[in-house]
Amino acid sequence: MTTTSATHAASHVASHAATASPHAATAVQAIDYAAIAPPLALALTACAVLLLDAFLPHSSRSSHGPSVRGALGFTALAGVIAAGALLVAQAVHGGTLSTFCVPEPAACSYVVDHITLVFGGLTLVAGVVVILMSMGQLSDGDIPVGEWYFLLLCALIGAITLPASRDLVMLVVALELVSLPVFALTALRRYDGRASEAAVKLFLVSVVSTAITLFGISLLYGASGTLHLSHIAGGLAKSPIPEAHGVVTAAVMLVIAGFAFKVAAVPFHSWAADVYQGASVPVAALLSVISKAAGFAGLILVLAVTRPLYSEVWVPVVAVLAALTMTIGNLLAMRQRHAVRLLAWSSVAQSGYILAPLGVGPEGAGAAVVYLVFYAAMNLGAFAVAMLVARGGSLADYRGLVFRRPAAALALAFFLVCLAGLPPGLAGLFAKVAVFRELVDGGVGWLAVVMAVNTVIGLYYYVTWAAALFTPAPAPVEAREAPAVRLAPVAVGVAVSVVITVVFSVAPQVVFDAGLLSALG
Amino acid sequence: MSSYAPVIALFAIGVAVFAGALLVNRLLRPTHSTPDKLTTYECGVDPVGEGWAQSQVRYYVFTYLYVVFAVDAVFLFPWATVFARPGYGMTTLVEMFVFLGVIALGIVYAWRKRVLTWT
Repeated sequence: MTTTSATHAASHVASHAATASPHAATAVQAIDYAAIAPPLALALTACAVLLLDAFLPHSSRSSHGPSVRGALGFTALAGVIAAGALLVAQAVHGGTLSTFCVPEPAACSYVVDHITLVFGGLTLVAGVVVILMSMGQLSDGDIPVGEWYFLLLCALIGAITLPASRDLVMLVVALELVSLPVFALTALRRYDGRASEAAVKLFLVSVVSTAITLFGISLLYGASGTLHLSHIAGGLAKSPIPEAHGVVTAAVMLVIAGFAFKVAAVPFHSWAADVYQGASVPVAALLSVISKAAGFAGLILVLAVTRPLYSEVWVPVVAVLAALTMTIGNLLAMRQRHAVRLLAWSSVAQSGYILAPLGVGPEGAGAAVVYLVFYAAMNLGAFAVAMLVARGGSLADYRGLVFRRPAAALALAFFLVCLAGLPPGLAGLFAKVAVFRELVDGGVGWLAVVMAVNTVIGLYYYVTWAAALFTPAPAPVEAREAPAVRLAPVAVGVAVSVVITVVFSVAPQVVFDAGLLSALG
Repeated sequence: MSSYAPVIALFAIGVAVFAGALLVNRLLRPTHSTPDKLTTYECGVDPVGEGWAQSQVRYYVFTYLYVVFAVDAVFLFPWATVFARPGYGMTTLVEMFVFLGVIALGIVYAWRKRVLTWT
């Protein structure tokens, strides 16, 4: 595959219109396998995991022994790393790859450019950490392993396909591919009422949001007559419908509402805490990083990157949504006594910070991507430590952690300080500065003030938690330690997150360059 | 908005006809109810049990597997009408078998997980 597809890719780059490819003569659409290599690698791995699960010997009727569980985990990990290598190859190769193109008017449904690479890289690195966390979660054998990794890989395929999608149908299919496996992953902790409740809540919220998005998209298609994002603005300009303005305004609002559900923005946030707490910690991490990044990728693609649509209509709405999201998320987080619930509301608040730059206009997308990348690293780390220490647990379990497990406590303190945006955790500080600069330069001073107030509110609960780590526990709480699970992979996951966050703190320019480039489309 | 007037009028007429017929029926018919007449009609047999009957949950998995094949067929029909035309050929044939292979993977998985055996 490698040599032929490389030359194939070169020919595509040479003629970006891609319609002049030699295959145009036939009715069959040419596929550039170099462009779709990363999701393809993940798909093949997912099939392999399913087959291994079906044919490897079972230790009992429904569960595998530890060695088979490990083999499946490492297969999944190898697939994600292979996909990451292919993504790096695409990045090194440079240029824009595009495939699934139609000739007239020229447009492609799948495009690999900067935004695709940034979101794809984020997803795959987060995927590695989530799989490492899963190895700890699955080590007690309550959860069917093959199904777990298969569903996880499917969600990752959706999350790396989504930022490459450049038509509305592809976008919805990819978004559903991220969402559907997550319901099942949430419900896989069988015989646990909380997990079933969380899965049903997530299912209902997700189905409703998909319906709303689809309604908006069908209006958009009806008004513009095209599915390709690059042609929608042109299609609307010569729309045959006399009152197209009203229809498109409604369509854009519906699409924003649909994605706001996915990223748990206020007023569509109420599901977050129950679902994060009910799901196992790796799934909560998946929801708060990968699923959220996918939601933002879709939002940024539709609203900002490809021909900004009706920005005079949606910009003020997004600004108000951002202000509400950060404020309500932070206020709810202050009252939490459970680690994962606190992280759930804090990630709602962080969604507000990511949305804020889009409240300036389409040009704010770069700062939103920058914040998202920083947020992903810090938040994933916090979830990984929560998994390592107490599988979530109440905040009281974390008192005096530094005396029992100094490394884990220091890592958690670092991530919390990063999330708060205080100096030792420079990654969070740089992320907030990027958003503030965008808001002030864009003349949305009021939103900058709201965000400053919120940063102070956030400081309260992050620092309270961080301080508890260093407070001696009143009585021995060793009995509340997590049950015996294989924690080595989880510790590796924490280490990966720490390294990435430290690199982002020392060399934030990497993220700034990647994020701001991605906004140029 | 005025273009919707006929739709609303048609809707109103529909409701009037339906409600009117039921009302006339009620006014004209004699009513002499007995306990036998008021029991649930179940094909002439005496009704058994409650309205909330339970069915075997294992049917659910078979329904699921059936849906896999049904969706499969939805894609097969349009494919079958075009794949022999000029310009399609071998690529189209192979593509469909790749798709069928993925579907078959699901069936193989169900078989290995002993979903297909009833007892």
